[in-house]
Amino acid sequence: MNRIILLVDDDIFQLRLFEKLLTSNGYNCKIALSVDEAESILQSETPDLIVSDYEMPGKDGFEFRRRLLKEDSFKNIPFLFLTSVNDKDNVQQGLDLKAIDYIAKNTPPSHILSKIDNLLQAVREHYERSLSEIKGIAERLNLRNIPKKAPELKQFKIDYFNQSFQNQPGGDFIDFIQTNERYTFVILGDVMGKKWGAWFFSFSFLSYIRSAIRLCVYDENYSLSEILNKLNRVIHDDELLSDIFSTLSIVLLDDELGTVMYAGAGDLPILKFEEETMELHQFKSDGILLGFSEFGDYNEMEIKLDVDEELYMISDGMIDFELNGKKKSDINLFKEKLFNFKQNKERIQTIKDRLFDKHVSQVDDCSIIIIKKV
Amino acid sequence: MNVKKQNIDDLVLLTIVDKDANLTKSENFKEIVFKEIESGTRKLIISFEHVEYLDSSFLGALVAILKNLVPKNGRLILIELDNDIRNLFELTRLDKIFELKNSLETAIEDFK
Repeated sequence: MNRIILLVDDDIFQLRLFEKLLTSNGYNCKIALSVDEAESILQSETPDLIVSDYEMPGKDGFEFRRRLLKEDSFKNIPFLFLTSVNDKDNVQQGLDLKAIDYIAKNTPPSHILSKIDNLLQAVREHYERSLSEIKGIAERLNLRNIPKKAPELKQFKIDYFNQSFQNQPGGDFIDFIQTNERYTFVILGDVMGKKWGAWFFSFSFLSYIRSAIRLCVYDENYSLSEILNKLNRVIHDDELLSDIFSTLSIVLLDDELGTVMYAGAGDLPILKFEEETMELHQFKSDGILLGFSEFGDYNEMEIKLDVDEELYMISDGMIDFELNGKKKSDINLFKEKLFNFKQNKERIQTIKDRLFDKHVSQVDDCSIIIIKKV
Repeated sequence: MNVKKQNIDDLVLLTIVDKDANLTKSENFKEIVFKEIESGTRKLIISFEHVEYLDSSFLGALVAILKNLVPKNGRLILIELDNDIRNLFELTRLDKIFELKNSLETAIEDFK
């Protein structure tokens, strides 16, 4: 993905020169002739770097920097000053405003490019280091929203895959809760939102889900409808989660009878490929998002699954596509792909590899659970 | 977040000007609408005329807005959603929660 650089300078000639240099080296540039224009661009784009002139009519570069520092969403965007006024006072004033560095306009293009490349590389490495530290801590605390492996059952084979978006954690969560030899609950949820915020709250939802299931099972209650209704009420009453919502699909596998029950909350339909008719069927739950309303009215249904047939549980990232620079959510496009794989009798691993192919543009974290009757 | 505001009698129409309604804009949008609700607005229309893609963060913000408005006896109507977005609402039962209308005229008529 091309990194975006916002260039701000009142000198259009200078701007075009910089733009040409950077775009021909793989960057995506946005240009602004004034601070006001730059601020208007920032309303719809978050660049990876801002390069701004000091001296401009109206608001100057220093004022621009001061204004950015006051905004939480902009203050951490790396900022470089660009100037022809290469005097110590201006440089110092710029650096005092937490600008990472400055570039003199007469610097040779190759130096400018190296400076920007190195800076963005350093920012990326710093981010990767922090990310890996946090992931390490989460691992040590046993905070995991995607399990290490699926349980092995007699009548079902479970495969699951999760891919993060731009190597950042997301709101998708998966769990398998095996309450005894007979029953296994398969959980797929998606906290609405992306990246860290969603990732953090996925643990709250997972804890509630695990508790609700365990508490119902202690009472010998395996009704998915009742589990979801109870779960929804608790989440609805939790003030910490009042602004956070999650979808949820729950499947209950009975390894003794070989039956499959399903209930969902605001989730995408479960898909089933029927071997005999070679058709892809869709099972849509009727529950609304967890936590929106005190009474959600969640119902369960049985899904008949014959030997060798497969069920697909998916998160919304699986149906988000970017085609010709335009993003869209389209379950039919996903179904079409899946249908073609099944018609060509592709194996599960191949289906996974093709669905998660890095050449397929991804706009969110995505997960799929495949349950096969064996 | 580029949002255009228009008062129509006691209604407030907010038009999202961006094509892409996503994570980077969802918090800001929620704040704008929460302020509108705090200032006393109870009849709200949000237009998606220009929106081509809506991500789950933005959907979450919309749900939070509705959850904030309903206990205050407010009402929110979403208008001019393109087919893909409308399908997504129907697919995930968000159409059970939100009132969706095709045009501003039908939304205004509905508020009467």
